[in-house]
Amino acid sequence: MSLNYQLFPISKPAKGAGGKTGNWRIVRPLVHEDKCVGCKACYIWCPEGTIIIKDGKVAVDYEYCKGCGICSNVCPAKAIEMVSES
Amino acid sequence: MMEKVISGNDAVALAVKLSRVKVTGIYPITPQTYIIESLSEMKDRGELETEIIRVESEHSAMAATFGAAAAGVRAYTATASQGLLYMHEMVWWVAGSRIPVVMTVGTRAVGPPWNIWNEHTDFMSERDSGWIMAFASTPQEAMDLTIMAFRITEDERVFLPMMIGMDGFILSHTKTRVYVPSQEEVDSYLPPRRQPYVLDPEDPIAMGNMFSPEDYMKLRESIHRAQIASKEVIVEAGKEYMKRVVPIGSYSTLNESYKLEDADYAVVIMGAWSLDAMQAVDELRKEGLKVGVYRVRFVRPWAEEEVVKALSDKSVLVLDRSVSFGRGGQLYTEVKASLPDTDIKGVITGLGGVSIGKNEMKVIIRKFVEKPQGIEWFYPEEARKIELRSPRYIK
Repeated sequence: MSLNYQLFPISKPAKGAGGKTGNWRIVRPLVHEDKCVGCKACYIWCPEGTIIIKDGKVAVDYEYCKGCGICSNVCPAKAIEMVSES
Repeated sequence: MMEKVISGNDAVALAVKLSRVKVTGIYPITPQTYIIESLSEMKDRGELETEIIRVESEHSAMAATFGAAAAGVRAYTATASQGLLYMHEMVWWVAGSRIPVVMTVGTRAVGPPWNIWNEHTDFMSERDSGWIMAFASTPQEAMDLTIMAFRITEDERVFLPMMIGMDGFILSHTKTRVYVPSQEEVDSYLPPRRQPYVLDPEDPIAMGNMFSPEDYMKLRESIHRAQIASKEVIVEAGKEYMKRVVPIGSYSTLNESYKLEDADYAVVIMGAWSLDAMQAVDELRKEGLKVGVYRVRFVRPWAEEEVVKALSDKSVLVLDRSVSFGRGGQLYTEVKASLPDTDIKGVITGLGGVSIGKNEMKVIIRKFVEKPQGIEWFYPEEARKIELRSPRYIK
């Protein structure tokens, strides 16, 4: 007997498993590279794993960033500004 | 295998031990409390490998049991009545999660008014939850079905939890002869634990998370199809049980027929009082009435094919020890749906511990032969000519 009918309510964590969550955003984090000291506090605190480390500085993966603003709040150098999407 | 004189609660506790259950999250409620007490006594004597988690409510009892089962071990719990209703949300969660768990329901009335005596409404109120639902008619069967339940629920064609109903007091507390299998016999019958996925920090998964509406609906259909597929698994498990564990019993079919072959009339019934119905049938047959009994053992999955085959040429009486207010007995509506062209009479009785024995059954069956349709509430004073005590303020 085929077991094709057996489906289970689980998912494996993977990039994009919850859809392109970037379109949930009302405000976007804007990184001022001149102010960024490369401490990676935003990388540690981002709940979605959308901070990318590039040449010692940080960037944001806007495809999946939900715009929660935690990175901006925790940045000791005030290098991340939240700006309106509209 | 050895013979013992034990209660239904004792028999179930022994089944839990013999099935090598690893964890039970469990909370006391009459009439199943002695299952926990018996397990605790066995634990105290060093005979039990089960970890007993004391919890603060039935909702937590099922949550703890589910957590252990999700982490990959055989898990069990028991409850009744208000406790089952308090657990209701988790009951559905477990079935939706497709994690095998086994539970005993020592059936009992639902308040208010407060009542600790037997009826089946608590058990029947879970019939849409996705659990496989069996109902015992003797302490022996309560033990057998509990052991079988681990094999059925952990089959890859099923992967659903299973609850076993057991009439409060009538089965839970009455001591009868029970054939108790040896550990070796049960070990040869139950395979190692299997389940569809395991909670494992080394291999993380999201469990029961958000799914799209279409995927949600596919998961619901999957539960339904697993229920249908479980019919053959139950029969296989039953036959194998009779071969390897306890050779008595009638487990080669989902339900049981008694003197139905030549019968004009059939009594459909579930639970301990089925045996009273069989005694009544024996006596009525001596008077020339061709009547038999069809005992429902499985409410879910519903044995549509067996029911149609056994009852389609009979005049059918369904006795419900439970009620769906505004519609009638749940078994009545199930049987009616399977046999739309048959005249069927539904009788609701035995609620809240109202005692129905062989003599009351004979009165019910004779009345049914006179008028074989409709829904009726039967009170035993019709048969006994005794006054029931009424609440003081009801005239």
